[in-house]
Amino acid sequence: MNSYKLFALLSVTGMVLAGCAAPATPAPTQPPAPQAVQPTPTSAPAPTKAPEPTKAPEPTKAPEPTKAPEPASGVDAIVLSKDKPTEILFWHRYSGGAQKFVEQFVEKFNAENPYGIKVTVEKIDGSYADLYSKINAALQGGTPPNIAQAYQNQASFYRLDGNVIDLSPYITSKNYGLSQQEIADYYPFFLESDKNPQFPGEVLGWPTSRSAAVLYVNLDWLNELGAQEPPKTLAEFEELACKASDPTNERYGLAWQNDISNFAALIFANGGRVLSEDAKSYVFNSEAGVEALALLKRLFEKKCAVEIPSSERFGEQTRFAGQKVLFVMASSTGLPFYADAVAKADKPFRWTYVMFPQKDPAKPVVDIYGASWSVFKSTPEQQLASWLFLKAFTEPENIAGWANASGYMAVRKSAAPKAIELVKNDERYKNFPDAVEAYVRLYDMVNFGAVEAPVAGYDPVRKLMSEVVSKVAVKGEGDIKAELDKAVEEANNVLKENAPAPSSY
Amino acid sequence: MAIASTPLKRRPNWVRLREQVLGYVLLGPALLLFIAFTVFPVGFGFYISLHNWRLGPREFLGLGNYVRALTFGSEFWPSLGATLTYSLLAVPIQITLALTLAYLLFQKVRGKALFRVVMFLPWVTSTVATAAVWARLYSPDIGIINGLLRMLGFQPLRWLLEDKGVFTLIATSLGIALPDWLRGPSLAMVAVVIYTTWVFVGYNMTLFLAGLGNIPSEMYEAAKIDGANGWQLFRHITWPLLSPTTFFVVLITVIGTLKAFNHIWVMTQGDNGTQTASILIYRQFYEFQRAGYASALAFLLSAVILLVTIVQNRVASERVHY
Repeated sequence: MNSYKLFALLSVTGMVLAGCAAPATPAPTQPPAPQAVQPTPTSAPAPTKAPEPTKAPEPTKAPEPTKAPEPASGVDAIVLSKDKPTEILFWHRYSGGAQKFVEQFVEKFNAENPYGIKVTVEKIDGSYADLYSKINAALQGGTPPNIAQAYQNQASFYRLDGNVIDLSPYITSKNYGLSQQEIADYYPFFLESDKNPQFPGEVLGWPTSRSAAVLYVNLDWLNELGAQEPPKTLAEFEELACKASDPTNERYGLAWQNDISNFAALIFANGGRVLSEDAKSYVFNSEAGVEALALLKRLFEKKCAVEIPSSERFGEQTRFAGQKVLFVMASSTGLPFYADAVAKADKPFRWTYVMFPQKDPAKPVVDIYGASWSVFKSTPEQQLASWLFLKAFTEPENIAGWANASGYMAVRKSAAPKAIELVKNDERYKNFPDAVEAYVRLYDMVNFGAVEAPVAGYDPVRKLMSEVVSKVAVKGEGDIKAELDKAVEEANNVLKENAPAPSSY
Repeated sequence: MAIASTPLKRRPNWVRLREQVLGYVLLGPALLLFIAFTVFPVGFGFYISLHNWRLGPREFLGLGNYVRALTFGSEFWPSLGATLTYSLLAVPIQITLALTLAYLLFQKVRGKALFRVVMFLPWVTSTVATAAVWARLYSPDIGIINGLLRMLGFQPLRWLLEDKGVFTLIATSLGIALPDWLRGPSLAMVAVVIYTTWVFVGYNMTLFLAGLGNIPSEMYEAAKIDGANGWQLFRHITWPLLSPTTFFVVLITVIGTLKAFNHIWVMTQGDNGTQTASILIYRQFYEFQRAGYASALAFLLSAVILLVTIVQNRVASERVHY
């Protein structure tokens, strides 16, 4: 379903609900009893002729009884009160400025919200995979948080056993939901990405954070190579990466972290997809997938790329700041971290990030991702409290600050100018005007966004893809097409195994 | 005065019953804890292993998960091979080094207390932290180890990123082609074993030092009077009398290597020929969310460990002198 259909669906749902909604009076009133007026017949005049009795007027039509407002139902029937505080637990893995921002927001929310909601926030140390593991363990132990960060495929996995809730009734709730104007203020692509093909019509997470797979570029080095601007095509990218490489001095064109979102970005840049449009099968073995892997293989064969071991955290940032690599493929959310790393470098330099080079720059496709916040099944009050917390967090006045603190894009259109303003005035970027410009351009990329695979079981599939990339591109073993085909076959088994219907495992 | 011997009276049944009940009552708390934290989890784990179990049971498979694991071509066999390779490499190296160091530090040498502390430090330091540091040392382009190799004029190695066998690498550098079955353990595996040795040798050395301390010094003095040399002292006194300690150290080291996980995960995440059974279980459980299959693998690994331990016990019963 595209964004227009989403908008239309939400509009229609909103209108239907508005039509059926109860009036503001909270308690239904008794309909007044119909009062038919019984006229008294006019008395007869004197003798002669008895006049015909005056025709009795038609009794006044009894007024229609006032339609009783329907009692609030569903989400709207839930009442949260300060007298009876509702406690909820939120798990996240943000660090640095993002963590601080979340904690400050929670403190403010707890003090000011009119519903008596008390949020406890817990930071889970480790990667998203660690958070995912911890949530799965908590679900099995029956003690999940109320809200947690979750990628779309992870939310889908939780949903298989009914552990996360559909947010649609909350979004459309008259009392607690969002108006049409508010919904329209979100970037449609972000809202769309939380709708899951395995559970049509359901919203399994709320977009708070989105970023894009981009290419970080050392601009000074690029100029030394004779290039005036970052590469726009994959061919230019390959050429520059190889021109920059000098393995004897441990300098390379590209720092390759085997994060499969980077490979997915390459597939998108070649015009392909990871998952088929109907979400029924993986298709990363298409021609685009083969071309993406072939490009990587050539880069490694010609020693134009260096692999960053998974055990080496932030190795690509360290090398970029040390001018050991010209390009890094990474998330746009790395902006504050790269700024910090380059600022601390012995020789600071000009740098920026740009849209990843494309096979056809006229039809770009950008991998846009980000963990949403999902709400886990609990009591109706806690579920509603969780939604209200998500809603408050994504208010425009808050989301701009959040975007600046975290490096993510503002998920609401009205907050984007403010978020850009904050980045422009941020001390961290004062020496990096090119990076600030990059953040401005980031919002243009939303128009070309694509999601990887929002289906349950994508995590192990990423591992399968990663193994193929490592084997074929980095180690130069095996045939590109054959290895991709094999991985797709395995991936489709995983997809089948994680299908919502009883699996054939 | 004659003392009449009184025959022992048989205690009445109710007394014996009371004693028995009292025994079970006293045993009760410990038994409850044992059932709650050992018997039940193991039993429940087995129950899970009989199902297609994700976040909950989906369908009953009987022994399906076990059959799947034991089927030829499943990922269990290579992982078991990697586990045994790791164990066979790590155990002899660790034991030999630990015994040698213990023997040396048991002599009257200056600064031996300091040496003991230094050797023991890696074991008391966080495994995750030291493994992360070693991973950095092994980094192909910026690691210190490759820096040293370059300085000495050698080709840098890919260490934790290398899945080629060490024999293949050596043969290739000499211009010899080896068949695949002679490839040997991957370089990544060898790198992990080097780290493991660094961590555990100090701990094993400490156990050996305790064992050496229990050998009566009179034995050595008597042997010296009889003209025994250093090797004879070791061969005929130290080695036999240290055998209970050696047996214990070998036993725990073998079990430890068979279920090793933390450092391997931190250093390689099971890539490049280091996917041991524990790593496979973890990945099946947490990455693939196949709790049933992962539980079946865990039971199979436990069976292998039990089998190896029984064999060790049998072998040791003839060679350990208490």
